[in-house]
Amino acid sequence: MLNVEGVWRSFGSIDAVRDLSFALPRGHTLGLLGPNGAGKTTTMRIVLGIYAPDRGKVSWNGAPISAATRKHLGYLPEERGLYGRLRVREQIVYFARLHGVSAADAGLGARRWMALLGIEEYAERPCSELSKGNQQKVQLACSVVHQPELLILDEPFSGLDPVNAQIVLAAIEALRREGTTLVLSSHQMWQIEDSCDRFCIIAGGELRTSGTLAELRAAVPDRLVRIAPDLPQVRAVLDRFGRRVANGGGHLDYRLPAGSDFAAILRELVALAPITHFEPIPPSLSSMYLRAIGSPDIEASVP
Amino acid sequence: MNEFLLVFGAEFARKVRSRAFIAGTIAGIVSIGILVLAPALFARTLRTSSSSVVLAGPPALRTRAAALLRERYDIVAQLDALPLPFTAASLDRYHKAAAAIVLAQEPGRLRIDVYARDLSQVGEGLERTLGPLQLALATGADAAGVARLTQPDLRTHAIDSRFADADAAELAHGIAFALIFVLYLSIIITSQSVMASVAEEKTSRIAELLVATISPVRLLAGKVMAAGTLGLAQIAIWGAAGLVLAPLGLSGVVGSAGGVGAHLPLTLISPTTLAIFLAFFVLGFVQFATVYAAAASLISRTEDLGSVATPVILPVVGAFFLAQYAGVAPNAPISIIASFVPFVSPFVMFTRSTISNVPPFQLGLALVINLVAALACFSIAGKVYRVGLLMYGKLPSLRQVAAAVRSR
Repeated sequence: MLNVEGVWRSFGSIDAVRDLSFALPRGHTLGLLGPNGAGKTTTMRIVLGIYAPDRGKVSWNGAPISAATRKHLGYLPEERGLYGRLRVREQIVYFARLHGVSAADAGLGARRWMALLGIEEYAERPCSELSKGNQQKVQLACSVVHQPELLILDEPFSGLDPVNAQIVLAAIEALRREGTTLVLSSHQMWQIEDSCDRFCIIAGGELRTSGTLAELRAAVPDRLVRIAPDLPQVRAVLDRFGRRVANGGGHLDYRLPAGSDFAAILRELVALAPITHFEPIPPSLSSMYLRAIGSPDIEASVP
Repeated sequence: MNEFLLVFGAEFARKVRSRAFIAGTIAGIVSIGILVLAPALFARTLRTSSSSVVLAGPPALRTRAAALLRERYDIVAQLDALPLPFTAASLDRYHKAAAAIVLAQEPGRLRIDVYARDLSQVGEGLERTLGPLQLALATGADAAGVARLTQPDLRTHAIDSRFADADAAELAHGIAFALIFVLYLSIIITSQSVMASVAEEKTSRIAELLVATISPVRLLAGKVMAAGTLGLAQIAIWGAAGLVLAPLGLSGVVGSAGGVGAHLPLTLISPTTLAIFLAFFVLGFVQFATVYAAAASLISRTEDLGSVATPVILPVVGAFFLAQYAGVAPNAPISIIASFVPFVSPFVMFTRSTISNVPPFQLGLALVINLVAALACFSIAGKVYRVGLLMYGKLPSLRQVAAAVRSR
């Protein structure tokens, strides 16, 4: 279990992280979301023990983050690099060894990850000779070769073409299946939504909301409902319950309170008009994210 | 395996295979070869060209002058009169002699005419050498006897020197100069290799992955140790090359005018000198290398390396020049003070200890000061390095660096 409790961290007069708390049980995947400058990278660095928190504490499986704990952690930073002159295999083995893996196991691990990521043929090539996509795969291999219990991936898909992004996604899936606890940060909401079972949205260094997708949705006070056709009597009924946010294309978008009795509303509408479409749309991660960070775009017709 | 040893091993392997190390080591061996062998190879030529002379004048005068001149010059020809006009081509006809000396006896004095390509090679000291002949001509005495009379019995007695005579002292100066030069080169080359390594990790953005894996201080320690070991290995290779080549150089210059090879037989470097050299190399290197590493950790782009490198290179250059001064005036107040100033001390104290009698407590104090300074440098540089590795963007000001270092 990863436990982040009341963590503060400032740089000079800037509070990068303020009273941040969240927990992540073993084997689960957390999507750490937030706009640029929200404090995501600082949070990750605190979890990894790169920065010490000014206040609060971080623990992994009940133990504070120490040199020994860090052996079980893996990290793929957003800004990543490689030793250009070092060969691919040497590079991966080196990082495995730094995590305390024996030479023999490091060699096996390197071979396994090179095969998984499709970079076996470059094993003896200097990293500087690889394409950017392949270099990113080597970087991922360096982060996971020691089979970390907790793996933190900061923007793992940035700069990858769709094919390579799919390969990395498959690798992350493989890690999930093996029981690796994952913390993922990405601006690609659909990938995060698919890959994670828990979410933590931060902005301005503070936690805005956290929980499973269902818990996040439950906390959203309204629902977007799409109704067709767009008729005056339909609007008259819906205006009693909520707020129209868009219309056009023969349908209406209304925001209704989440606790509304949608079946009763539908029955009332059907009695008044030939309703062809009535769909309460569950809030997407994207909309919940925008709402959590206080983006004005949430008023638009997004679920 | 210990993280420190892993970093050490990886850094060592990377550096030892690097073109910079291989080229630097070969260039060093070639330079030592030139330094040691060139004087031997060219000694004969140099000697011939600079000290061979044609002597002209009345036979009686020539005979008496030749007796005096032979100590310093090779007389390749003796003529009654110089064929005029006497040109450079005329000198070439006499085994490419450096000069022609024409003697004539005038009333009450000796006249000497010198025809030479380069007057500085022959003119110097000629008056002193032939002075006794003028006295002999004026007094009718024997020229050799006059020479003996005008040559006082000079005996030197060193009262605060570790050297038996002037030759030994000169030898020590030569050794000190050569070793200080090696110390300077090694410290600057190895420190810069640490700087380049840190800059590579910072600019390639691998630094964050590394510090997420191991403690930055261990990372820095591994790097510094690897570069230092490689620096020592390079010195050992150069020393071995010197040992192999020195006898060849010596055999070539024995009995001749000499050369660097004659003045710097590496076998004459005492174990004590070697031990002090190694101690000051290690302590000086740690001071400079850690500062270089900290400076390199602050840059975001390779282009910024120059702006942080210049301020940290200046102290090592300054220290080298101060060491040159200490070589001339080892007991001058500035030399003594500089012996205890971190960064400068390894160069100055080593020079002083090689050429003069430095009291043991001064040497010990300098070693302790340098040890403390090296530890302090490592500690402070470690803090700068720790935060610097994760700082990107504009080059931070000193105030920003200080604030970052104060934070945990």
